[in-house]
Amino acid sequence: MTIAQSIERFLLTEVAADFGKTTLDPDADLLEQRIIDSLAILKLVTFLEETCGIKVNDEEIVPENFQSLNSLVKFVEQKQRKS
Amino acid sequence: MNFELSKDQVELKKSAIRFAQETLNENVIERDRDAVYSRDLLKQCAEFGIQGSAVPARYGGSNLDIFSTMVRMEGLGYGCKDNGLIFAVNGQMWTVQMPILRFGTDEQKDAYLPKLCRGEWIGANSVTEPDAGSDAFGLNTSARLDGDHYVLNGRKTFSTMAPAADVFIVYATVDKRKGFMGVTAFIVERNFPGLRVGRTISKMGLRTAPFAEIHFEDCRVPVKNLLSKEGNGSAIFEDTVEWERACILAGFLGGMERQLEQCIKHAATRKQFGKAIGKNQSVANKIVDMKVRLETARLLLYKVAWTKQTQGKAIMDAAMAKLYVSESWKASCLDAVQIHGGYGYTTEYEVERELRDSIGSTLYSGTSEIQRNIVARFLGL
Repeated sequence: MTIAQSIERFLLTEVAADFGKTTLDPDADLLEQRIIDSLAILKLVTFLEETCGIKVNDEEIVPENFQSLNSLVKFVEQKQRKS
Repeated sequence: MNFELSKDQVELKKSAIRFAQETLNENVIERDRDAVYSRDLLKQCAEFGIQGSAVPARYGGSNLDIFSTMVRMEGLGYGCKDNGLIFAVNGQMWTVQMPILRFGTDEQKDAYLPKLCRGEWIGANSVTEPDAGSDAFGLNTSARLDGDHYVLNGRKTFSTMAPAADVFIVYATVDKRKGFMGVTAFIVERNFPGLRVGRTISKMGLRTAPFAEIHFEDCRVPVKNLLSKEGNGSAIFEDTVEWERACILAGFLGGMERQLEQCIKHAATRKQFGKAIGKNQSVANKIVDMKVRLETARLLLYKVAWTKQTQGKAIMDAAMAKLYVSESWKASCLDAVQIHGGYGYTTEYEVERELRDSIGSTLYSGTSEIQRNIVARFLGL
């Protein structure tokens, strides 16, 4: 499973289950659609750290990294390359 | 597993108890009745080293780790009967100093931390709004970039120590559409144009730590006072409340221990029907329950310290500790009133004040309901 598929599955099953979606538009704004809220971000960060082997610093929890599925994947890949 | 405190930690706790008993307990009943804070006592706490406990020496602190800080605060809570004062000190330490220390630039740290640690300045947090309480990130106070300043507009409420504060950590949104990720933190000095501290709001407990409304009317904040980055405010706030939840309650552990000893003494010396009331199971059982709450609360809180120290984050542990310790304190305060009977209902026995103070602990820094929401989310619910 790719990083994108893994994150999408997590979002659909653990975060956005109430939205009834089966797929996510990779560029859809997850913040404006309120799919990621302030409680969901805590779980999402834990998931990324445990599944993708990265450490998410508090300073990195900003819209440019969490706005869409694509921005999340880009953020994770950059972090993995650096480590 | 070792539950023993180190010699240094034991001394930290003992010295905080001595300092508090000798310095902080005069006229608490009167100050509570009149709802007045004491800048002098806050200064004395700073001079003793309380505010700077977890701050590096270069900014005027003593650079203690979280566990040692917690132990020191536990001692302060045991020795000091003024819960409002403890609340005010903690509010500054965890919601003002800690975000500056963890997210501020070197310039911001140099500008604010030494003054706060020395007690020259008082700091206050400003997040809650009339329509954004538990939904803290649903806030409406806006921040618009205008040249080399941000312009803040909006109204805050329940800002602890705002009537006295010299500097505020203010949360405002730079883009409401982004929800919680539009929230941005600023360091705002009291004398910045457009900031006005409004009416002080009377409250049930913690009355020596007054809170007030704050109005921002085209308040101009230099860009250099942006804390971290735009949209990073929610992460700063979450990090802040995790420290707050872990450490603010340590003081109340000390308070619970002092209260337990007071109840044991009362139950052993107060005689009715020819015997000490503690010989009645209905009284003794209450005291046993208080003891069990104290010991279990301490274990939970110490685990948070250990988790934060070893793993950095302790979101669910901190939420569980906040929930359990605050609810335990409230339950034990109710028991203490009942054990003291009619005397517990009087002001002079100082038991009723602790009950009023304890109720606030299940509300601030996230209500018990919010703590349960956090834990439920982490359990996959």
